[in-house]
Amino acid sequence: MSLSHDERRGASGRQTPDAASWRIALDHVSVTYPGGTRALQDVSLSIEPGEMVSIVGLSGSGKSTLIRTINGLVGVTEGSATVGPHRISELRGRALREARGHIGMIFQAFNLAERASVYRNTLVGRFAHSPAYRTLLGIPSAEDRDIALRALDSVGILDKVWNRAGALSGGQKQRVAIARALSQEPSVMLADEPVASLDPPTAHAVMADLERINAERGLTVLVNIHLMDLARQYTNRMIGLRDGRVVYDGSAAAATDADFEQIYGRPIQPRDRLGERA
Amino acid sequence: MSATPRAASGAPEAPAIRRELEVPPKPRNTLRTVLIAVAVAAFTVATCLPAIGGIELDLASIVQHWRNGVTKLVQLAQPNFAFLPRTWAPLLETVQMALVGAVAAALCSIPLTLWAAAPTNPNRFTRGLVRTINNVNRAVPDLVFATVLVAMVGVGALPGVITLFLFNIGIVVKLVSEAIDAADHRYMEAGRAAGGTQFQINRATALPQAWPLFANQWLYALELNVRISAILGIVGAGGIGRLLDERRGFYAYSDVSIIILEILVVVIAIEVLSNLLRRRLV
Repeated sequence: MSLSHDERRGASGRQTPDAASWRIALDHVSVTYPGGTRALQDVSLSIEPGEMVSIVGLSGSGKSTLIRTINGLVGVTEGSATVGPHRISELRGRALREARGHIGMIFQAFNLAERASVYRNTLVGRFAHSPAYRTLLGIPSAEDRDIALRALDSVGILDKVWNRAGALSGGQKQRVAIARALSQEPSVMLADEPVASLDPPTAHAVMADLERINAERGLTVLVNIHLMDLARQYTNRMIGLRDGRVVYDGSAAAATDADFEQIYGRPIQPRDRLGERA
Repeated sequence: MSATPRAASGAPEAPAIRRELEVPPKPRNTLRTVLIAVAVAAFTVATCLPAIGGIELDLASIVQHWRNGVTKLVQLAQPNFAFLPRTWAPLLETVQMALVGAVAAALCSIPLTLWAAAPTNPNRFTRGLVRTINNVNRAVPDLVFATVLVAMVGVGALPGVITLFLFNIGIVVKLVSEAIDAADHRYMEAGRAAGGTQFQINRATALPQAWPLFANQWLYALELNVRISAILGIVGAGGIGRLLDERRGFYAYSDVSIIILEILVVVIAIEVLSNLLRRRLV
């Protein structure tokens, strides 16, 4: 399986040509929303290039906020967020968009334009790398087209390229979203609860896709997740968040049930696990 | 406990398991309904009392003047089909005006609508500007636009087309931008996360999402245009309305009747056509 992928990479001759994996560093980051909600409090993290990290916590623990400070969708109130060469927390406008162009992200609700084709949705990943007039005319460059199609192929849904995104199943939609992020040729991949809207077999498939992206491309992957078994099974390092503070940072496989109870702030319940790979 | 197999076998004991359901009492608002009905009735009566500033409805005048109308109605009931050939050219002009106005408005409505909707234009100032100008546009009655434009650009189809254009812009921009405001826009976060500009996000994702909304209103605008352009001729803005006004001026109500019938046929035809298109598009 992995061999055939390697062969394909060799045959295509180009896969993430200039995408080096990036380091992520949060330095004493706090985020307070306008309403006064303190979503993150004094979070410091350092994630090395090529790491596969899960961020675990209950809803409301600050996972979504944390991951969004990394691409600047949420601004930090204090501290700084650095990704590769970019100090994200200080960037604005064009420089911020340029940096975001190298940070892929997938979402719980897939966030596709449902009435647009899979192809057009994938090309969204080329926004930061292509001039506005090409978007206006709807004519991507041959290179952008090639990158988008290869991204779709790498997640196995190239045959759906001309379908309407809304006509796909949940698992297929998330694959399109992954292809959209991959077509950015990213240096970091962020995933905000990527499997929370999927059934268990599909959830495992999507997690395996992320694992493969990490292994094959050496991409730094950061996954928000609330299920303990998925975190243990697919990620190497785990960061536990509770009430906006880091309460665990260490090996995912070695995390004990007691560690999870500390992260959740309550005893473990059946719904904290997804179940075995189907 | 094992109710399911018994029910499946249709055993006589099955009904014994049925128990009375405890349906919560249905809330009744009889008093409120009566009060609202009384209030509406009282308000309606009050608006018809001139003594307290209401409108004056003199029903007695119907009895006095109904004969005047009867001759006209009798003429209207006898459409003059011989007049038909003279109406072809103006009718065609009306349909052309309707189409040109609708298409021009459709093209211009795209950027204006995206400007007027909050998700596609986060800039409060420019959004407010577009909306305010459009509200002013909508506040001006079509006949006023047509009258002023006839004075500005002369009698003919042009003032009619411009009037329809402005009228259509008013409808489409308002209705579609409000529909965009109300829709779900999670795909925008993805576009932003990928480093896209608002322009790119709008063009590549918001616009495809909004196509059905646009198509609906464009077709509706076309329908309205045929009706309205029939009237615009009265103030000299081209189309069949000019002929209608002329025949009415000559008291030739049989001719007026055939023109009204023609407009009716065209309006229905366009309605049928746009319904077909709408089903395809939406």
